[in-house]
Amino acid sequence: MADAASGSTDKSVQVKLVLLGEAAVGKSSVVLRFVSDEFQANKEPTIGAAFLTQKCRLEDRVLRYEIWDTAGQERFHSLAPMYYRNAQAAVVVYDITKASSLEKAKSWVKELQRQANPNIVIALTGNKLDLVQLSASSSGTPSSESEDEADDATATPGETPSSSGGKAESLRQVPREEAQAYATEAGLLFFETSAKTGEGIVDIFTEIAKKIPIEHILAAGGGIRRPRADNAQEGSVNLEESTNKPKDACNC
Amino acid sequence: MSTISTALRNFKEPTKEQITQNFFSLPSTPASIGKDARGADEEVEKIDINAVLSLGVEGEEDSYAGKLYLMAPYLAFSSLDKKSVRFTIPLSTVRRVERLNARAGVYALSLALWHGGKIIVQLTSLRPTADLFCALLRDALKIELQRGRMKSIKGFVKTCYSEVLVSGSAPTPSDEKDEASANEASESSYHGGLGLRFKFPGDPKKLREASKIKLWTTYLKTHGRNLSLLRYPQCTRLVQVGLPNRLRGEMWETLSGSLFLRYSNPGLYEQLLKENTGRTTTSTEDIEKDLHRSLPEYAGYQSEEGIGALRRVLQAYSFKNPELGYCQAMNILAAAILIYMSEEQAFWLLEVLCDRLLPGYYAPSMHGTLLDQRVFESLVQRCLPIIQDHFQAVDVQLSVASLPWFLSLFINSMPMVFAFRIVDCFFCMGPKVLFQVGLAILKINGEKLLQIQDDGGFLNLMRDYFASLGDSAHPHSTDPRARAITRFQELLLVSFREFSVITDDLILSERKRFRNEIIHSIETFSKRSAVRNLRSLGRFTKEQAGLVYDALYQAMCVIPPPPAQLPSPALLSEGVEEKPETRIQLRTFQYFLSEIASWARDEKIVSNGFQQRIDRDVAEHEFIDRLFFFWDTSCCGALSFQDLVSGLDGVMFNDLMENIEWFFNLHDKNKDGFLTKDEVLTVSESFLFIFRFEVGDAYLGAVSRFMTNAFEYGDALMADVDQSKEIEENGEPRSPLPLPSNQPYLNLATFRMVVLADEILESFFETDLSASFRLDPVAELELPPSSSGLLGEFWSSIATDSNKKMFNMFTDEIGKTIGKHQVIHRPSIGRYKTLDEPKARESLLTPGMRHSTSKSSLHSSPSSSSLRPSSPSQSLTVKVPSSMTLKEPISAVGYSPMVQAANAALLARPAFTIDDSKDDDDDDAEDDLEAGDNDDQVMDEVDAFLEAHDSGLTDADKEVAKDLLNAKPVK
Repeated sequence: MADAASGSTDKSVQVKLVLLGEAAVGKSSVVLRFVSDEFQANKEPTIGAAFLTQKCRLEDRVLRYEIWDTAGQERFHSLAPMYYRNAQAAVVVYDITKASSLEKAKSWVKELQRQANPNIVIALTGNKLDLVQLSASSSGTPSSESEDEADDATATPGETPSSSGGKAESLRQVPREEAQAYATEAGLLFFETSAKTGEGIVDIFTEIAKKIPIEHILAAGGGIRRPRADNAQEGSVNLEESTNKPKDACNC
Repeated sequence: MSTISTALRNFKEPTKEQITQNFFSLPSTPASIGKDARGADEEVEKIDINAVLSLGVEGEEDSYAGKLYLMAPYLAFSSLDKKSVRFTIPLSTVRRVERLNARAGVYALSLALWHGGKIIVQLTSLRPTADLFCALLRDALKIELQRGRMKSIKGFVKTCYSEVLVSGSAPTPSDEKDEASANEASESSYHGGLGLRFKFPGDPKKLREASKIKLWTTYLKTHGRNLSLLRYPQCTRLVQVGLPNRLRGEMWETLSGSLFLRYSNPGLYEQLLKENTGRTTTSTEDIEKDLHRSLPEYAGYQSEEGIGALRRVLQAYSFKNPELGYCQAMNILAAAILIYMSEEQAFWLLEVLCDRLLPGYYAPSMHGTLLDQRVFESLVQRCLPIIQDHFQAVDVQLSVASLPWFLSLFINSMPMVFAFRIVDCFFCMGPKVLFQVGLAILKINGEKLLQIQDDGGFLNLMRDYFASLGDSAHPHSTDPRARAITRFQELLLVSFREFSVITDDLILSERKRFRNEIIHSIETFSKRSAVRNLRSLGRFTKEQAGLVYDALYQAMCVIPPPPAQLPSPALLSEGVEEKPETRIQLRTFQYFLSEIASWARDEKIVSNGFQQRIDRDVAEHEFIDRLFFFWDTSCCGALSFQDLVSGLDGVMFNDLMENIEWFFNLHDKNKDGFLTKDEVLTVSESFLFIFRFEVGDAYLGAVSRFMTNAFEYGDALMADVDQSKEIEENGEPRSPLPLPSNQPYLNLATFRMVVLADEILESFFETDLSASFRLDPVAELELPPSSSGLLGEFWSSIATDSNKKMFNMFTDEIGKTIGKHQVIHRPSIGRYKTLDEPKARESLLTPGMRHSTSKSSLHSSPSSSSLRPSSPSQSLTVKVPSSMTLKEPISAVGYSPMVQAANAALLARPAFTIDDSKDDDDDDAEDDLEAGDNDDQVMDEVDAFLEAHDSGLTDADKEVAKDLLNAKPVK
């Protein structure tokens, strides 16, 4: 890649992104899917916050996401400000099969809007879409793209009872419309995703990248960073399909 | 949505006795649960005495001067430097005590311990003290004998691996390779961890397991083991080079003192599990989520056996301590220690960890974690100011990296083999180890840290460093021995050499220094999120809602509500889960309201010649109860913060008409839009309650006018209503009068008319009612004083509430005797400060004065204008002082000026400063590293850690001690 060369196309803009949400909604899985395109049923729990990085190409810019994946347990709440301070983006995750997790997500959004960086870009993400989908179809969600089918093949077995047949949709507790309406009202990006199948995950980060005031960050001077050698290893998101659509492709 | 906790307010600094107990790893409550009901009279007094300790084997060890503590049922010793030599042994392990016949003036005891060892203590305090000590020791031993504790030892020690080691039946070190399978059959008697089955982490050869086991076997033979381990310098050194895997679990429980808990509470672990079989709580649900995420790379946790053990230990702890329950990171700890110890051992060790070694780390507020992070920050500032300055300059937060270090004892940060060696030292030398290692990590990486620009860079640097701990610290050195030093060895060296200034005392005093700051920030944070999470603020601003929160918080401190509970599972069947929410009961509500509404408190202005103060009591009246249930919209008999905000919102912003309606609805119990006759009486009682302290009898008059008019109008309207009803109900025969007292009687329109007929009531509803609710900043509750020392303790013991009361009573008594004592009830509304009547009374019954003219039909109803209730007027307690005009009170709180002055003095005291401990210069560090270069062998490494210990004995003392070895028992 463009490691050695100089010029505006190779400047990576550093974006601090924080993941928030109730325990066990799949925050870490979302990150893991994005950073290394894996799904692990068993993850080390996050103590405080896990820290990962991933690059993402947007037009002629390379964004380097610094992702802070916070602990979900309620008692870690008071530690969260440590992680979301100075964040330019936040992904607030809830579980579409658990109504209460949306409530928690709303309260996170409120907190971010009042306490965090005023320009923060917030994406509301309903995770575990795979649990409510009939096994064969992924048609229900506009955000799902054909590329996700490829990811299905690589996905490892899930942490929750597999979604089987007609019962699947009844697991859903948060109607898409309801969450979408809330997101629109609160001015958030909105996605429904499945970390397990990979559906919609990359979209979150590309949409955020589009919305982030990059010029603003550059002007502030903090974001420019020389790509480091080890980024080559980190950058293992494999999205061949997305290279076809250079505009929102995330390619490292 | 949220829970509100006042738990942090209850924190008390540990007493000197507790600090001593902690130092010796004693259980905080010596008596075990239930098993032995010892009478209080059998408690033996605690005593400590100067003593010189020597082993009963000549030439084996030096003698050490120190202090011997009798804290039944334990005997403990610590050398003067508090680290060279110490022991804690249960008295039940003492088999025999003899007074030794030595040189004149020497008072010495020989104690034979169950493992066959003998210790000799020479009591060097004055003779009477020594005599007293012996007498108390005898009593304590007798009690232990009666309790049959002596006999229980034999069975208990069978569970300890050390016994297998010293008896020689242990597998020889060469078996190490195939131990996992070979020994399973013979090992049932002693407790062991998952490692016996799934292998211990690390390569046994590289870890020098065999030579470590050999060294320990020798040590345990001569210095006792498990219950009666004597910790000599050799012990600490052996721990610092890393415990052998098979002995690790037992040494952890011995060094941490959790062994004593297991010893004194046999069967409790099993019992807890049995009693709570099948129970699910929030904690057990959280535990379930994390079971498969706890050291998942270890083979034992890929099997049901390991997962089951982890589940049981964590659940048992959450049952034992439901307040703490379960906190993420505890699963890491539990999973780690279960590799080395049995479930029961791990359970007790977890208890010691959460309770004593890492206090408050895993509590719901995690205050201990936050506090120690703050302490760590201040230690970095002190010891490594350049790094801290750089962090501040580039806005990097230390905690992003250091928080998980402390929270999971490095197990989540470092490769396990290294983390466990730090854990070894942690159990042996106490929590200060975490700080020392943390500082050493920063120091070693100092130069690179000065290059980092943000949190991310910091974390990456730390990650890389931890991954390289097994590498050579000096890879380019020409000396092969220097090359052999690993980065981990370097880390320990720096930790204990250069940061030996970090002592337990320093940590304690730093915690004390920052505790209030932390509590304050936690409380501010939870207040902010409580306000933010309100579903509706109503017409309040956020600041005002904050004031409501403050009043609620204060009320909860004074009258704590029952713990927040999840709704019962039956109610959750719809799948709508609710978070536990703090709700207050009526009693707390009464206090809360007294903070906000002037009529909900009884305020007495007391002047006694010395002082003027306001005594405030919480008022109790049916009206307040009515309000409580009126606001309890979800009908659960308790109010949440949201209920209070909504409730207050319903009354504080009203205009005249809204207030009248609000008051009407409050008294309309069945919400049918009508007050019954009974309810009209209740309304007047409410009025009388609110007006009870008003000056003059204007209000009394207003209430009686209200009564008269209400019944007059009510009766007049009755006819209309009855007529219309009769028409509606198709002429059902109805007797117009008299109406039973519980039938609909007065509707809102009529009520409004009656109220508006009176100027006083009108002004009450127009302004006074809303104004009687005031959101003032509540007086800051006193936190436990952060200052220490004589003065601090002195004041905190004097300035207690009860003492204030006594002082007030005392001055009152004097005031009474000199005739200056005066008590005035402070009025709730205080519109009329003098006895002047606002308006003449005659407006009452003359129809022409009525505000409302719409109901001309009223004139035609003469009827019972003389209906006067008899009961309410009895409750009237207006006390009218004849000469006194009310002055504004000096203080709104009710503390006497003197006590306030005392408190001010208390706050003005400078914060406790720590003795200047000198930072080691970088030059020193260099020297030490060079010194370390020469180390190669295991024991060389050992020696590098410890400075030469000074036993603090004079030659003469040593002479005496030697003498004692040969002394004969007194006959």
